[in-house]
Amino acid sequence: MKCDIKSFLDAEKPDDYQERLKEEIGALNAKFHMLTAAVNSIGSGFPFSVKDNICVKGVEASASSRILSGYVPPFNATAIERLPKESFAFIGKTKMDEFGLGTFGINCDDHPLNPFDEKRVTGGSSAGSAAATAVIKHHVSIAESTGGSISCPASFCGVVGFTPTYGAVSRYGLIDYANSLDKIGIMSRSAGNIKYVFDLIRGEDPRDSTSVSTEISNRHSKNLIVIDQLMDGIDQRILKSFDRFLSKLQSLGYSIEHRSIPFIEKSIPTYYIISMAEASTNLAKYTGFKYGHKITDFSKGYNDFFSDARDSFGMEAKRRVVLGTFVRSAGLKGRYYEKALRLRSMFIEKLSETLSAGLIISPTMPSLAPKIKDAGSLDPIATYSMDSITIPPNLCGFPHISFPFDYIDGMPVGAQAVSGHFNDYSVIDFAGEWEEQFEYKFNYNAGAL
Amino acid sequence: MENGYLERVLATCRIKLTQDEFNKISKDIDEILGYFDTISETDCDSYDPAFQPITIPPKLRDDKADAFGDVPGLLKNSKIYRFYVVGPKV
Repeated sequence: MKCDIKSFLDAEKPDDYQERLKEEIGALNAKFHMLTAAVNSIGSGFPFSVKDNICVKGVEASASSRILSGYVPPFNATAIERLPKESFAFIGKTKMDEFGLGTFGINCDDHPLNPFDEKRVTGGSSAGSAAATAVIKHHVSIAESTGGSISCPASFCGVVGFTPTYGAVSRYGLIDYANSLDKIGIMSRSAGNIKYVFDLIRGEDPRDSTSVSTEISNRHSKNLIVIDQLMDGIDQRILKSFDRFLSKLQSLGYSIEHRSIPFIEKSIPTYYIISMAEASTNLAKYTGFKYGHKITDFSKGYNDFFSDARDSFGMEAKRRVVLGTFVRSAGLKGRYYEKALRLRSMFIEKLSETLSAGLIISPTMPSLAPKIKDAGSLDPIATYSMDSITIPPNLCGFPHISFPFDYIDGMPVGAQAVSGHFNDYSVIDFAGEWEEQFEYKFNYNAGAL
Repeated sequence: MENGYLERVLATCRIKLTQDEFNKISKDIDEILGYFDTISETDCDSYDPAFQPITIPPKLRDDKADAFGDVPGLLKNSKIYRFYVVGPKV
């Protein structure tokens, strides 16, 4: 499996390598806006970036929200703390949809642009992580997914994006969106790099009671399962390309099986009900005097003070806080929130049965990366429906990986492989096998040795 | 959402909207709630609610105070008066 971390660390580099890398990243950041700020200096380790909702000690963490602007955490997230300082060099925080609330990476100021076509979105919410991975040759990004925030931008930007089993990586130091759905994951240009970093950051953490020490397995199956309902609504060009991809996999010894999972399309409203309910409580802590953005007029009454502070939320954050508060209302929670939790149980059971027979394979997204102007004009339900393929594994906490399998009109197309709980290595190794005979394309290679 | 209910929810979650935002969000919310209501078409009453996607063994920490490593660093994010975080009047 390709992994360039060790070879990078062992390689002899020119004396001015770090300075050149910094300048190249700065120039590309001016063009694609993937980082929140340029770093002053880059160390000698393997370059890594961090999504802006994951805390790095002494570096502003705003989750791309105005309400957190200026917040500087005095601690590292566990995932960051576990990266050996001598082996990894921090290059900056990456932009994202505000608090992870978005599909296209455009719910933030000065949003990132797609390195394959600047008129198109990067995908979100780990927008800057994907764009940075697409332009920097030797690089990993510590990203995060709630409902598809790693797979979607990985697909649109033509990189590899891995989301581990829920609980496999500690969430300590993550600025929450939805606690029961958030997973810290990894993006890079190869499955080998991802496996290397995953082994460093995973494992139980006493500071996150939802993290677990369950052994990670590799029950690798040569059986691939296509869920027919997930193919509904996919762009015809992607479907044709996906059929060719399946044929190629068959020639490599894989068998393809088609299955149906009743009501799988209901996973989208199920996910949004749970995530909005949890977001509405998590975002309640932003009150204008403890973190980030400050209201300085303390003569105001309690309610006015908090309402003024929360005016810093973007439109999508306001919409989701309102909806999340509504679905938790007394008298309504049985209809929405509790029903959604029961549905999640049902989907976990049905999908686990399917995953015991092999990996689920599909295109990652139903379309190529849309133009920015088109994405911005979609109504909320059309936007939420774009997550139809990435939501089921995220809702149920299954490990999954997105990797490029074709290019259409110069734009990358991603495939998503899903496995059962704690069988994370199987999807990483599957992507690694694919990379042995398919070359990923990139328009930029900052820091190439 | 029934008339007046959105205003109550906005007050509960302390979100202020301009009239334009209110008009847009109220239309969006009605459509989204209609979409959410489609989950009623499924029968899942026999399933227990999944508060987490995996089974997490119960872990309780000792009931004792644990000092945070960098309190001054933490307090730098707030307006401080005599080591207390300053907030609004109640």
